Amino acid sequence: MRAPVLRGWYAVHRWSSLICTINLLILCLTGLLLVFHDEIDAALGQDHRPVAAVVGNAAKPSLQTLVDSAVQGDAQHTVQSMFFPPDEPSLVAMHLGERGSASLRGGKNIIFNMDNGMRQALPVNVETVTGFLLKLHVNLFLGLPGQLFIGLVGLIFVLSIVSGIVIYAPLTRKLVFGILRFGRQARIVQADLHNLFAVTTMVWALVVGLTGTFLAFSPLIIGLWQKTELADIIRTLPAAKPHSMVPVDQAIAQARLRAPGKDLAYVFYPGTEYATQRHYMVVQRGHSELEQRLFSIVVVDAQDGTVADARGMPWYMQALLLSGPFHFGDYAGLPLKILWAMLTLLTATVTVSGFIVWMKRTRAVVVRRNEATLADGWGGQT
Amino acid sequence: MNGTWGWPLLLAALSLGGLAAGILGDGVWDWLCWVGLAAPVVVVVRRMRDQWHGPDERSNQNS
Repeated sequence: MRAPVLRGWYAVHRWSSLICTINLLILCLTGLLLVFHDEIDAALGQDHRPVAAVVGNAAKPSLQTLVDSAVQGDAQHTVQSMFFPPDEPSLVAMHLGERGSASLRGGKNIIFNMDNGMRQALPVNVETVTGFLLKLHVNLFLGLPGQLFIGLVGLIFVLSIVSGIVIYAPLTRKLVFGILRFGRQARIVQADLHNLFAVTTMVWALVVGLTGTFLAFSPLIIGLWQKTELADIIRTLPAAKPHSMVPVDQAIAQARLRAPGKDLAYVFYPGTEYATQRHYMVVQRGHSELEQRLFSIVVVDAQDGTVADARGMPWYMQALLLSGPFHFGDYAGLPLKILWAMLTLLTATVTVSGFIVWMKRTRAVVVRRNEATLADGWGGQT
Repeated sequence: MNGTWGWPLLLAALSLGGLAAGILGDGVWDWLCWVGLAAPVVVVVRRMRDQWHGPDERSNQNS
């Protein structure tokens, strides 16, 4: 690589790394704890599982019965969506919003046990330790702008990794892989640690950085899906509101016939932001570890119960859904969580050691004049 | 592949394989995931342990 090109990439690496140093440390430290959020919640007694039954009913009811029960005596609200948690196959969480409102924000939630129709108590709305850490990790307590800022930090982090890979070979060609010159000047030791830790974790860090960026930009990605794929469904299907609606159980049965062998994930009601004015959107997921995260949609006419359309999610939505496990490291048990935490610590060390190398740059320039050994590796780059 | 990229590329392949294996299934797939992602950690720990004593001699040999 020609010297000016190398200097350019080195500058990209230096500044992209410095820009995201503080944020990256926050993300590493909060992420390190969030890897074990299940264990921390359980240890602190803050795990959110429905515990107390409020209303009882012995027979297994239809979903439509539960919907009617949810809105009984409440003229202001209507059921807008249902969520079927994969780890709680007996439960359905219904979201109720104001009648006529398309937005799924706000409103209230009701959880039912589908086996016996019992209404479950909602998790107590208290701030948990991991909830606090999650907000700090996701958006720095700054809402959507903070989340998009974190996405930008993620992009810069990815640029830092890529530029680091580009300059790795030219800067280490005289060194054996993984050399750690303990006992030498602090800058050389830190540079050696930086090189070893960074190059061994580069793929993992790239994957976690890219998936984190994707997750941070999820509002924009979902917005793109709504404005393209969902808009296409809405444009190509009849838009008239149904005069009457078939029970939601019938819509689900039709969806299961169209896409058999899958589990329910969501049902969105007509008139909401994820559906047309006329159709139920029945979203299903597969069974395997991978297919659980790949959704397919069946669009069911709410007036006559027929299937109007069926399609998968576009690639960018599938990528977004797959980003979760590859960012959180929660898909292969506790050993993976422990490895995830170790790799997070290594990445945090890369960040700190790189910063120390930069902090000691001025002194190194002076020392370089008198010490020829600094010409090899990072010691020669300032 | 040369001396500079041999180990990094091997670890990259193991990491990528480990990340993918865990999502493909359970049981043996989980084990492949753990082995693949443990490789970078093991290499770092071994390099640090091996070089903690007598660093000057090693660096003189390799520089």
